[in-house]
Amino acid sequence: MYKLLFRSFFRTKIFLVSLSLLLFVGIISILIGKQYLLKQEKTIAAAVSFQQKSIQNNIKYHNEDLGLVLYYLRFTLIKKPVNLSAISIGQSDVNPLLQSVTIRNLEGQKHDTDFENPALLMSGNLDLGFVIIYLFPLVLIAMTFNLYSEEKELGTWRILSAQTTSKLSFLLKKMGIRFLFIFAVLIVLLIAAIFVLRIPLDYNFWALCMQSFIYILFWCALCLIVISFQANSNFNALTLISIWIVLTILLPAMVNNYVLNKYPVPEALDAMIEQRDGYHEKWDLAKGVTMEPFFEDFPHFKKYIVPEDKFSWIWYYGMQYMGDLESKESSIKMSEKIRLRNKISETIALVLPTIHTQLVFNKMASTNMIAHLDFIETLTKFHEKLRVAFYSDVFDKRPADSIDWGQYDVKFYEPNTNFNLFKTLSPTLLITILIGLVAIIKLKRL
Amino acid sequence: MRKEAIVLIAHQFLKDTFRSKVIFVTLGLTVLLIAFAGLTGYDNYHDQNFIRYKVQNEVQDSWESNPDKHPHRMAHYGSFAIRMKHVLSIFDMGMENFVGNAVFLEAHKQNTVNFSEASMSTGILRFGEVSLAMLLKVIVPLLIFYLGFASVAREREKGTLKLLIGQGIKRNEIVFGKWLGLLSLSLLFLCSVFLLVLFFVVTEDHNISLADSLSRYFILFTSYLLFYSTLSVITVMVSAFSKTSKAALIKLLGIWLLFVIIMPKSLQAVGHYLYQTPSKVEIETAVEHDLKKLGDSHNPEDPHFRALKDSLLLANNVNNVNELPFNYSGFVMAQGEKLSTKVYLGHQNLLYKVYDKQNNLERYSSFINPYSAIKNLSMALSETDFKSFLHFKDNAESYRYHLAQEMNRLQMDLIPNKGKEGPKQISSKYWKEFPPFEYSFLNITQVIQNELISIFALLTWSILAVFGMIRFSINLNAI
Repeated sequence: MYKLLFRSFFRTKIFLVSLSLLLFVGIISILIGKQYLLKQEKTIAAAVSFQQKSIQNNIKYHNEDLGLVLYYLRFTLIKKPVNLSAISIGQSDVNPLLQSVTIRNLEGQKHDTDFENPALLMSGNLDLGFVIIYLFPLVLIAMTFNLYSEEKELGTWRILSAQTTSKLSFLLKKMGIRFLFIFAVLIVLLIAAIFVLRIPLDYNFWALCMQSFIYILFWCALCLIVISFQANSNFNALTLISIWIVLTILLPAMVNNYVLNKYPVPEALDAMIEQRDGYHEKWDLAKGVTMEPFFEDFPHFKKYIVPEDKFSWIWYYGMQYMGDLESKESSIKMSEKIRLRNKISETIALVLPTIHTQLVFNKMASTNMIAHLDFIETLTKFHEKLRVAFYSDVFDKRPADSIDWGQYDVKFYEPNTNFNLFKTLSPTLLITILIGLVAIIKLKRL
Repeated sequence: MRKEAIVLIAHQFLKDTFRSKVIFVTLGLTVLLIAFAGLTGYDNYHDQNFIRYKVQNEVQDSWESNPDKHPHRMAHYGSFAIRMKHVLSIFDMGMENFVGNAVFLEAHKQNTVNFSEASMSTGILRFGEVSLAMLLKVIVPLLIFYLGFASVAREREKGTLKLLIGQGIKRNEIVFGKWLGLLSLSLLFLCSVFLLVLFFVVTEDHNISLADSLSRYFILFTSYLLFYSTLSVITVMVSAFSKTSKAALIKLLGIWLLFVIIMPKSLQAVGHYLYQTPSKVEIETAVEHDLKKLGDSHNPEDPHFRALKDSLLLANNVNNVNELPFNYSGFVMAQGEKLSTKVYLGHQNLLYKVYDKQNNLERYSSFINPYSAIKNLSMALSETDFKSFLHFKDNAESYRYHLAQEMNRLQMDLIPNKGKEGPKQISSKYWKEFPPFEYSFLNITQVIQNELISIFALLTWSILAVFGMIRFSINLNAI
């Protein structure tokens, strides 16, 4: 029985077309992922040499003036590339891989972007995640929409129903073969990805695999339920494509409109202005306006005397600090707003397997919004540590060559990759089981 | 071809369509979607412009309220340029959410345009946004295919095609009539969207001329009309030359997926794969490298600036820069700004040329894929394409340059050299005199020039499609 079903399936045109489509686009997507990783490596190498050269140059020009050296010098924090991100590039093309900051105020620097072609950002990356989320369901639909209706339209159903004991098990077997085929293609692509992209076989990778399998099962269940309506092939094709459009295009896009409109982030622009004014205004004000809050936050610098009538680096960096201080509230509000956007999206995604799968992929690959916010938070700490360390050197008027620059190489940030497996997988799994059960109950009445 | 026969067939097609319940469900859902897209598009446009307008005004106020000071302080104080939304962005969001919205303009440095919506969004944004144009570009084509796949094929299946031909109606009259019927159905969607858009265009108060908006509007409408006319030809022809309506449907669904989803995205990705772009840090390294060769105003031993200094001393017949009749460091900064801007913009233009190459693959595919033509054209006319963003960015950069150089000029003219008598700061009236950043959009002629390829592709498609239909439909099989 299986043999026959397999053979008849392998002979169909749709089998060949879908096999070649999935493999072809799948391999392209893996190559695109590879290129993405290479670009990251190149960028990191450039950042490392940029930092070293810039330290050398600035010490050479302004050795006697450490305050001035540090006005120019930028220190780089890099998100350590996760190879899994090549499967799900996510938001990592919009958000920069690294941030190079001076010890001046951070707020004006931490949102600087990298250069990326907006046309590409808009159309999105063709990564393996896209192939799994968009193309696999399409191929499944193409292979199963006439699972039952075809037999009926060709008149073979009558013969079959006379010959088989259980029509349900016959349909399930037919479905099973198609599922196995899709499954096999997915595994082949994932194995190819492991080798080409050198993906470590860690928990995150396995979770991503499991979510992909469940996601495809979800589409199988959907196809089954549409088949169980026992309508003709045209109806099935139209219904399934419509469901596909609603789930992969319309609903996510509507959710997106909703989230963007409901939670605008004016705080971003507010913080941008506040950080400049918070710093610049101080030039025209008495030194005390700057130094009092500064000494309050850094009491151990009180021993330094701030000359009233002329420029001093302690005053200058104090003013810079005021930029951060005065924009702090808006800045915190901004990141809270973005976290809120994320939370709402994740909540809605619980009932929409397409969005959920995308968000899970991004999370596993640390290419989600939260990973970037965490990076920015680490950057804030990184910046603070640098500042505080350099402040005493500058205020002590030490020459630049007395600093041990060797320890100021680029630093790496390792994203937090923890997750809860049950919470990650259960939403799609539950929906799949539910739809699958309804479909089987309906099909039993056949 | 006879007019009466064609009208008769078209009329019959419409009557058949409206006999089934499906069309009413479809229309109902489409109206809901249009309402949703229109409402959220308007909200977004209105709220964002409100926020941005307010911020841009604050920026100007704080600039003007600066007290007397050294002009170079003001060059560092700088300004911000905020990108405003065109009223037609309600219609087509295009790249709106993927390009930055605000840029800090200061001396010595070209900052990146930050705070794009995408940078503040979750991965959901990649699924796209619902806009009126998205409905017209993505959903309505599918509806046209849905409504038209059976147009000729089912007549053949039922045997009525033979009857029609038997009654003396020519084959191409049948196909042309079906096409006309389907096109008028699609006009239903098109007109309801464009009525709404007209309302926005006319009622929204904006800084641009109404004439410009209206001409954009009419070109948009015509483009979509041509697009739908082409799609209707494709639908009717596939239906006419497929054995069964099922085969026609499957083919049309395949075409839709290929045109709308697979081709544009793959070509964009392949373009990106073929032409690689440097990252920001690589460009900055290159800029620094070039500047070092040409002249680095920050390096006291730079040969370019040393030579400049010597020639200045000679020309003015003085021994010391402090004896010059103008402020020397203002002069050096003006020269440095000029050089660094030139070098930076040179690298930036190289980068944009690569972007163009990356995008061209998808752009030229318009000749194979009419969706690409309408997509690019619609974005450009709605002022939400990359060129519109660049226009903003160029405006912002020239404002920045102008600001920095104006402050340098004030310093040269009004601030005394080191060791000389005179004020170290100048009156705040000079800040008030400096004009604010004015946002401007591209004008319609520039838009058309940018989109010549799309326009040409769309025209070619629609003319070839209609003539091809008339020419080839005589080969229609009756059974």
